[in-house]
Amino acid sequence: MSDERQEHGHSGWDGDVAAYALGALDPAEAEAFRRHLETCPLCREELASFEGVVDALPMSVPSRRSPAGLRRRVMREATGRHGPGGVNRRQPGMWRWWPALRPVLAAAAVLGVVALVALRIHASGPPPRVISAQVTGGGTAQLRVSGDRGELVLRRFAPPPAGEIYEVWLQRGHGAPIPTTALFSVTAAGTGDVAVPGRLRNGTTVMVTPEPAGGSRVPTHAPVLRVSLS
Amino acid sequence: MPRLRPPRSLRSSRPDLHALADEDLMAFVHQGDARAFEVVFDRHADAAFSLAYRMCGRRSTAEDVVQEAFLSLWRSGARYDPSRGSVRSWILGVVRNRSVDLFRRDLVRTARDVNADDAVQRLPAVDDVAGEAERREDAGQIRRALRELPADQRRVIELAYFGGFTHSQIAELLALPAGTVKGRMRLGLTKLRLALGDPSLSEVTG
Repeated sequence: MSDERQEHGHSGWDGDVAAYALGALDPAEAEAFRRHLETCPLCREELASFEGVVDALPMSVPSRRSPAGLRRRVMREATGRHGPGGVNRRQPGMWRWWPALRPVLAAAAVLGVVALVALRIHASGPPPRVISAQVTGGGTAQLRVSGDRGELVLRRFAPPPAGEIYEVWLQRGHGAPIPTTALFSVTAAGTGDVAVPGRLRNGTTVMVTPEPAGGSRVPTHAPVLRVSLS
Repeated sequence: MPRLRPPRSLRSSRPDLHALADEDLMAFVHQGDARAFEVVFDRHADAAFSLAYRMCGRRSTAEDVVQEAFLSLWRSGARYDPSRGSVRSWILGVVRNRSVDLFRRDLVRTARDVNADDAVQRLPAVDDVAGEAERREDAGQIRRALRELPADQRRVIELAYFGGFTHSQIAELLALPAGTVKGRMRLGLTKLRLALGDPSLSEVTG
């Protein structure tokens, strides 16, 4: 069907634009439509006209305040810092003691600078560790590790076979691969940025396999990507 | 994609991060500035959590989705491309994609096993928020526009965007031809675009 539509230019595809904008095409259809977009200015124009509408849809949901615990958790994961405060939480009332503290602070100026530098380094966290992955289908893949969290960065990576999706697995040592919630595909250019669920530590291997849509409990294909933390 | 750096005017002295636009904040986030990241979180966490909660329907899952989205922003801020949309759109897009990933992993949610009424009822109808104080005019505008859509068009848009269903799953859920579902999506989006005041609308049939 896709080939037939390709021959008919724009006319066979105009019904797909809205579904694509809503993320409602099946993976194989979306891939075919992306290829069509490269050659069809009419579809590109209509898609661009829908993007603002789709971007506005989240604003229609009932507003909820994000839990305070979530903020602490995110900042703790991001900075590696612990404690109930934010990254830059100020201490109320500290200025009341300014006159008395002034001589002490002057004497501690050098130490203060050192402490600030240390705090800055600590707050920003160490730079992510980047590990190249072994890939079997072409392209490149890296695992970026910050603390015990990781993200796969894929470039020129082949898309999964039609009707299938990539699934991320974790393997601890020589144990059985553990399925994760990360299911993904890549763009037409083979680009993908995928957060790896779960915590990474030395001895963990991250793998990617093509699986039927919906994912699998055990791998059904050989890994197309493998990277180990040592 | 352009590599983000703080604007020259902001490099010489420590700026008031709260006064910066999101795009300028992202330049600091890219450089590992945790305070800038915290400001971005404070600005957009409620919207992200609201979307995740509506899509996932469970507080704990929504929290996980939002956490992953923001940590992805923190780790890969360099890949935010200002020319392709706002920071908020980027974050909400990641939240939606993470939520849909979870849906598609959940084998129970295949079309064969999901009852259409359950699926639609799981998504709060826009009528439910009609009386809610509208915090912002743009939010009120999209809510009104959705309310005024014909129910059949609104339903397919909600199932697709918030429910994460593909058009073929929706067709199965609603016992409709796939072409009808796609047609309703197109009509609905076109009407929303008109209602939201896009001046280029009249060119699209509907």
